[in-house]
Amino acid sequence: MSIDTATPAGGSSPLPAGQPARQPSPSAVTKADIAKAGATRRRNAAKWKLIVGTVCTLLVIIPIILAQVLPLPDANFQDLSARRLPPFTDGHLFGTDQLGRDLLSRVLHGGQVSLTIGLLAVLVSGAIGIILGAAAGYFGGWVDTVVSRLLEAQMSLPLLMMLLLVVALFGPSIPVITFVIAIAQWPEVARLTRSMVLVEREKPYVSAARILGLHRIQILIQHIIPNVIKQATLVVLLLLAQAVLLESALSFLGAGPQRPFATWGRIISDGQDYITTSWWMVTLPGLVIVLMVVGVNLLGDGLRDRPRRKKKGA
Amino acid sequence: MTNYILKRLGQGLLTVFLTVSTVFVLIRMAPGDPAVSYAGPLATTEQLDAVREQFGLNKPVLEQYWIFLQQLFTGNLGQSYSFQAPAMQVVAERMPYTLTLATASILLTAVVAIPLGVWMSRRPDTGKELGVNVLTIAGQSMPDFWTGIMLLTGFAVLVPIFPASGFATWGGLVLPTITIAILQIALISRMVRREMTANFAAPYLTVARSRGVKNSVLTWRYAMGNSAIPVFTALGTRFAAMLNGVVVVEVVFAWPGVGSLIVRALETRDYPLIQATVLLTALLAVGVQLVIDLAYPLLDPRVRLGKAATA
Repeated sequence: MSIDTATPAGGSSPLPAGQPARQPSPSAVTKADIAKAGATRRRNAAKWKLIVGTVCTLLVIIPIILAQVLPLPDANFQDLSARRLPPFTDGHLFGTDQLGRDLLSRVLHGGQVSLTIGLLAVLVSGAIGIILGAAAGYFGGWVDTVVSRLLEAQMSLPLLMMLLLVVALFGPSIPVITFVIAIAQWPEVARLTRSMVLVEREKPYVSAARILGLHRIQILIQHIIPNVIKQATLVVLLLLAQAVLLESALSFLGAGPQRPFATWGRIISDGQDYITTSWWMVTLPGLVIVLMVVGVNLLGDGLRDRPRRKKKGA
Repeated sequence: MTNYILKRLGQGLLTVFLTVSTVFVLIRMAPGDPAVSYAGPLATTEQLDAVREQFGLNKPVLEQYWIFLQQLFTGNLGQSYSFQAPAMQVVAERMPYTLTLATASILLTAVVAIPLGVWMSRRPDTGKELGVNVLTIAGQSMPDFWTGIMLLTGFAVLVPIFPASGFATWGGLVLPTITIAILQIALISRMVRREMTANFAAPYLTVARSRGVKNSVLTWRYAMGNSAIPVFTALGTRFAAMLNGVVVVEVVFAWPGVGSLIVRALETRDYPLIQATVLLTALLAVGVQLVIDLAYPLLDPRVRLGKAATA
C-alpha cells in the first residue's frame, strides 16, 4: 500500500495530479494558503511562545540577579513601625510584611535562593539522568536491568512524603534540598535518554565507529550522546520549572531553607495568616512564581515546536 | 491471565515491602527523638528511658526491624504515640477522606480535560487554541498551595459560598477538588491534545476520512479510541499518586486525610503512624496500578496481558 506517497506537494493542496506537462509558473498554492497551513501556524505559534516566554522569564530573573545592586532595603531588616504597608507606600513597591520587612526585597532575595536550588538541582538531575539513561540504553544487559528497576521503584514511592522525610533527616540546608529535588527528577531525563539511545545505537555510524576500532565508551560519549543531548536538555529546561515549584512546595510545608533568606514558599506560608487583611503578602509572591514558571514552560514549548532548519541524520 | 495477575501481585507486594523497609531505615536515621516529643521537653532522663522502654525504642535496630516484620504480617503496626490508638486504625479512619478527595478530583479532571484536549487537537495553533494552550500552561505553573489560598480567600472569606476548611458538609469538597483539578486538567488536556494530534496525522485517519467517515466518528471512535490507553494510564497513575496523600492541598484546607496526617506524624516522629500510612497508601497505589493494567484489554482488544508481561 503506497497511496500516501503519490502526491509530492503534500496532502492539503488541491493540485491536479497526473497532468502530462506541468507548468513551472503560478502555483495553485497561494500565499493565503501557506499562511493558513498547519506548518505555518505551528511555526508562528512557536515563535510567539518563544518571545513571550523569554519576556516573562527575564522579567523575573533579571531583577533577581540584580537584587543586591537595586536600591532596596535589606530583606531581613525589620521595621515594626511600618508593618503590613500596602503596595506602593513609602517606597515599598510590594508593600511590607507583618514584621515591616520590604516584600519586594524578600521576594527577590528569596528568589536567588530558589533559583540557585532549581538550577543546581536540574544540573545534577540532568547529569545523573543522561549518564544513567545513556548507559542503560547503550550497554543493555544488567546495567539496563538495574537502571530500569530503579526507575520503576521511584515511580511507586510516595514522592513528596519521601522528600519531606529526607529533609527532616538531614535538615533543610540548600545542598540537601537540591539533592532531594534532583533525586525526584532524574527518572524523567533517564527514561527519555534511554529510549533515544536505544534508537541511536542501531544506526550505521555506530557500527562504523566500532569497526574503526573505537572503544565502546568513546562511541557513547563522542558520538551518541552529542546526538541526543539537544532533546535531553529541552526536557531539563522544563524540569527547571518543576524544580522551582517543588522547592516552593517544600518550603511552604516548612521544609525549605531558612538562611540566608526565606524562599518563596516560606514567604507565602508566612503571609497566609494575614490574607484577609493584607492580600499582597500571599498574592504577589505567588504571581512572581507563576510568571517565572509560565515563562520557562512557554520557552520550553516554543523550543520544542520550533521548526528545525538543519536536519541531521534520520 | 491468572499467571499474569499472580506475577503482578507478587511484584507489587515486593515494591510495597521495599518501600516500607526503606522508610523504616530512613526514619531511624533521622535526628529527633520520638521519646522527647512524646514526653515533652521537661521530662527527666528516667522518664525518657521509661518512654523508650514502653515503645521498644531501646532495643537494637535490627531487633526493632524483626518486630516490625512480625507486625507487618499480622497487620498490626503498634500504637500511634500521639493518638494513643492502633496506628493502622488511625490511618484507616483518615483514608476515606483522601479517597473521596482523590476520586472527586480525578472525575472532575476527566470530565473537563478530555473534551478540552479534543477541542484543542481539532484546531491546533489557531488563535483560540493558543489562548487555551497558554491557560493550560498557566494551570500547570501555579503552585497548588498558592491556588488553594487564593480560592480560599476568594470563595470562603470574601464571598463566603463554601466552607474554608475541613469536611463537615459536601460544600467543603468543592474548593480542594478544584485546587487539585486545575493542575491535573492542565496536564491531562495537554496530553490528550498531543495524542490526538498524532492520531489525526496518521495515514489510517486520512484513509478513513477519504472514505467519507463522519467527523465526529473520526474524532471519538478512531482518534480517541487509539488515544484511550495512554490517557487512561495517565489518569490512573495520577489517581494512584493522589492516594499517597495530596499533602499540600490537605494542609491548606485542613482536610482530615492522610496527607495532613503524615505531616503531623513526621513532626512528632510518630514511627508507627508513619509506617502505617506508608504501608496503607503504598498498598492502595499498587492495587490501583494493577487494576489499570487489567483494564487495558477492555480499552484495546489488541492487548494481550500474558504477552505484554513477557515482552
